[in-house]
Amino acid sequence: MNLDRNPALEEFRAEVADFLDTAPTDAIREAGRKTTSVFAPFEQVMEWHRILARKGWAAPSWPVEYGGTGWSVEQRYVYAEEYWKRDLPPLLPNGLQMVGPLLMHLGTDEQKARYLPGILAGEDYWTQGYSEPGAGSDLASLTCSAVADGEDYIINGSKIWTTYAHHANRMFMLVRTSTEGKKQAGITFLLLDRVDLPGLEIRPIIGLDGVPEQCEVFFRDVRVPQSGRVGAENDGWSVAKQLLIHERGGSVASPALRRRVEAIRDAAAHERTAFGGVLADDPVFQRDLGLLEAEIGSIEHFEKLAISGHPIAQDFAFPSMAKVMNTEVTQTLSVLMTRVAGLKGYAIQTAALEVGSSVAPLDDDFSLVAMPYYLNSRATTIYAGTNEIQRDLIARSIAH
Amino acid sequence: MDLNFTDEQRLLADSTTRFLEQTRDFHARRAQLAEGVTLSSAVWGHLAGQGLLALPRSEAAGGPGGSIVDLVAIAMRFGASLLTEPYLATVVLAGAALEAAGGDEARTLLTRIATGEAVVGFAHEEAVSGAPVGQIETTAIGKDGGYVLSGLKPFVLAGGDAEELVVSARHDDGIALFLVDTATAGIMIEKFVTVDGRGAGRVRFDDVHVPQAALLARDATSLIDDVVADALLYLAAESVGAMDALFRMTSSYAATRQQFGVPIGSFQTIAHRLADMKIALTKAHASLIYVTALREAGQAGPADLSVLKAQTGRLGRTLAEAAVQTHGGVGMTDELAVGHLLKRILANDSLFGDAELHLRLLGSKTGVTA
Repeated sequence: MNLDRNPALEEFRAEVADFLDTAPTDAIREAGRKTTSVFAPFEQVMEWHRILARKGWAAPSWPVEYGGTGWSVEQRYVYAEEYWKRDLPPLLPNGLQMVGPLLMHLGTDEQKARYLPGILAGEDYWTQGYSEPGAGSDLASLTCSAVADGEDYIINGSKIWTTYAHHANRMFMLVRTSTEGKKQAGITFLLLDRVDLPGLEIRPIIGLDGVPEQCEVFFRDVRVPQSGRVGAENDGWSVAKQLLIHERGGSVASPALRRRVEAIRDAAAHERTAFGGVLADDPVFQRDLGLLEAEIGSIEHFEKLAISGHPIAQDFAFPSMAKVMNTEVTQTLSVLMTRVAGLKGYAIQTAALEVGSSVAPLDDDFSLVAMPYYLNSRATTIYAGTNEIQRDLIARSIAH
Repeated sequence: MDLNFTDEQRLLADSTTRFLEQTRDFHARRAQLAEGVTLSSAVWGHLAGQGLLALPRSEAAGGPGGSIVDLVAIAMRFGASLLTEPYLATVVLAGAALEAAGGDEARTLLTRIATGEAVVGFAHEEAVSGAPVGQIETTAIGKDGGYVLSGLKPFVLAGGDAEELVVSARHDDGIALFLVDTATAGIMIEKFVTVDGRGAGRVRFDDVHVPQAALLARDATSLIDDVVADALLYLAAESVGAMDALFRMTSSYAATRQQFGVPIGSFQTIAHRLADMKIALTKAHASLIYVTALREAGQAGPADLSVLKAQTGRLGRTLAEAAVQTHGGVGMTDELAVGHLLKRILANDSLFGDAELHLRLLGSKTGVTA
């Protein structure tokens, strides 16, 4: 084993730190502090995306030929560490981690040329149209249909959990193009060049945290060109599975989790308890915080082993295990946040949570975000394949 | 960054496993324990013959200068094979303390440990597992040019078989280490066997006179902390080895055991439990590998060690209890390794501070973030 510290890596760290200290605007920093979801406040995170794109750092994990940074995995981890230390808003994943890499693998040259630059530059936001009211975990039973008509498809039906659809200018979606044979065999993957189309209606859904993050999208005889299809007609299920690989794996979670734990530790140092003294000295709190430290420690170790190419992470179940570990520790962490915030977390402060709001928080930023973060993070074990589905996949990976 | 075992480390570990399986499989181990034997001369002699009883010793101390990674590689196999012999007590704890203390007597004893001739115990921890070294209550008072030891060490591994003990005791303002012959007048040892099949003893020192030469090290707090740090890695490695063995047994049992006409692994409840076992094993394994690499690089701090000890303790327990549950009735019998592996994991958890203690250390202000 060899853990050698790489001096060039420390130089790189300094370069990253310098840029991240100076480049974000105050509004972007505020958006980072007020991020209570995977999806940061839209306007500021897209502005930040465009700043990073101009620096050439928007897509560290992309191949260089498509505008990636060419950083080693170790450098990417250092970047993530420095990024999270500063509470910066995470770039939205739909373009960079989902449809972008998918197009690199399966898109036509024309599709790549048309869409990848806008994704990289932060000009476009793509919403994901997968789930339907009747098709969640059993995604292949989706019914939103596309019927060929000349050079076009006519779409009818609806999609739900289309994150930030009300901010989106583009959409990628799964549609049913055949009802014959296995249900997986009649699905097609489509790119929608725009969402302001006749017959397409977007309805934001207010979440548990009081803000519209998710949407429902209705299609009534919506006409789109067939040139937006990725892969062959009725082959969309294998296209979608390819995309899930990008959605579930490959990202580094432990630096962000560590940052949240630090915030909890700081807040607990001045929260008093009914037993006298402060929460930070309470044995039960210490035990629960310690559990988080230990769990995040193991996740960090697992991620570092993955970075080093260790066989433990070259498992078919790696993305599913990472998803379960990260999301479940996120939920544990979010519970502890609400415990530390206490009653202060129970005031609805939707207005104060808006970036640039003239309404000040009743107390500190910690108690402002604790409850929305907790509520929003209930979704982590539901989205991107519920954790029950992930456990099915992990169980399937176990050799007998 | 290379976090893999070398080919040599793998070969050494594989040959250790092979030997243990051939010389003393699970049934032979059971028969041996039924007769109260925890130290088999065949097994101990083989370990000596392979050079394993000197593995972590530097060349100056008569060993090959094996690293913590070497030690972890074989400890994983010791855990899976449920080794009963006093490797932890004699080689990892007492041996390391003797090497760090130095001196002619220590060197001679290390040579006899290496050949398998001498079994030595490490009589350090007292009633409170995981307590700071400074809380040791056994005393050593200077008298007649020597020392008088008084106190109780209630759980000394190899305590019943050892000819000598490395004993920690309060002396002047610090904690010192002494080397004490177990035949010395005033030492009372009640021999017992631990739930996971290791020999141990409850050792009482009742005005035990030892000569001046018995003093191994004055102000030995940091020496002891360093020895215990390696022991934590050894214990974690044994537990991860045991977890891996349990996971394999349980997944294969779930695939073959039929109820309601189908393998029980086809039920989602069981499948998800297996998934959770795999996640638990993966986390514990990842922490073991990474913290071992940190320790080798001299970068493992107290928080890293606490993460490892806590995770192998609590994830080990969860996984092992799930293994018993999945095996059902037969999981409850002494005739299957499952319960023995559970007991090994629990015993390892209890040594040098259990998971709950290490979690609190991590969560308290003094337990710094990693």
